[in-house]
Amino acid sequence: MNCELYDDLLDDYVDGVRATDHRRDERFAAFEHHLAGCTGCQALVADLTSIRLAASTLDAHIPPPRLWATIASSIEEQQRQPWWKRQLGGAFSAWVPPAVAASIALLLVAAGWNVWQQGRVETPQQVGTPQPEAESVPAEQHYEQAIAGLQQLADAQNGALDPETRAVLTKNLAVIDRAINESRAALAQEPASTLAQESLLEALETKVALLQDTVALASDTGGTPDEATGAAKELNQ
Amino acid sequence: MRTADLELAARCRAGDAGAFEELYRQHARRLFSLVVRMIGSVDDAEDLLQEVFLQAHRKLSGFRGDSALGTWLYRLTMNHCLDHLRTRQVRMNRATESLDEEGAEEPIAPAPAVPAAVSRLDLERAIKMLPDGARAAFLLHDVEGFEHREIAQILGISEGTSKSQVHKARMKLRMILRQ
Repeated sequence: MNCELYDDLLDDYVDGVRATDHRRDERFAAFEHHLAGCTGCQALVADLTSIRLAASTLDAHIPPPRLWATIASSIEEQQRQPWWKRQLGGAFSAWVPPAVAASIALLLVAAGWNVWQQGRVETPQQVGTPQPEAESVPAEQHYEQAIAGLQQLADAQNGALDPETRAVLTKNLAVIDRAINESRAALAQEPASTLAQESLLEALETKVALLQDTVALASDTGGTPDEATGAAKELNQ
Repeated sequence: MRTADLELAARCRAGDAGAFEELYRQHARRLFSLVVRMIGSVDDAEDLLQEVFLQAHRKLSGFRGDSALGTWLYRLTMNHCLDHLRTRQVRMNRATESLDEEGAEEPIAPAPAVPAAVSRLDLERAIKMLPDGARAAFLLHDVEGFEHREIAQILGISEGTSKSQVHKARMKLRMILRQ
């Protein structure tokens, strides 16, 4: 019966979408002629029409009233966060796979260990002269070293990422760089400010995590995971 | 329509508390139905729709009015749904893969026919068995009433792919409903 000749017209016929040009109009007429004598196609058209009709009358699912209250309260909570955290948003945390989180934890433990070790060595020379910024400086240096290493690795593997992901990561790095610069400016004005120190370290920590993400994402999409793991180990040492 | 969208988006960006609620009231009901049918769970749909609106709130600054605000929201929602399904890896594909072959071999099968009045319950059950891509296109076209051009924007596919996915979905539903 040559039913397959009209496959491409079937859905338009069921949807009531008619011909857009003369040639298609002729084919529609041929299909209708075919349909008049083909019980198989008649059954198919009837079935698809029933499905379409039923689909258009399905009941709506109503969202519970509490949903808006939850959303509104989450928005309020978001607005209380620092601007750069809001900018990074949920997408940032969603990117952190458990393995990367473990790497970050290792990196931070290693940085903390180094800070503690340096503190132990330097303590005899610093007795009686408490300096608020003394602790943060080595930690900052370690973060900077980690960032430099990861940045190099991320640059090398950047090509493995798709342009959209690369653009998002670049944008997020710019946001976090602004936060770092602002924290540094605040610290320059008030070197003893614990808040400014914490803010700087937090921003640096976020940048480390973001670069770890970049490297992990590049590895997932065709980069070299061994190289990334190796570099992470190197940084931890 | 587009101007109204831009105005509403601008009010949201300016921190007008009522504006975002207005946006929610305009679209939440249809989006919730879509999400429930996409992921098959009312509880998960609540969580997912909450994430969608929180992301929409953060991303509204990037809304330029290239598409209708509704289409933009549908796109965010479908991205979340498809991500959710990929992550959860609870796919219905396995159940319908064998139907693929049967469908390809006998598109015009003999009786029994689909009942003239398809039960909504049966149809809801059958929709759950569709592959993710076909389900998304079918829900947007046959349930939500979008045109293929709009579905192409929402799902980031071509109009041709949207048409073939809807066709695939209908043929599979027919097979399921005839059983």
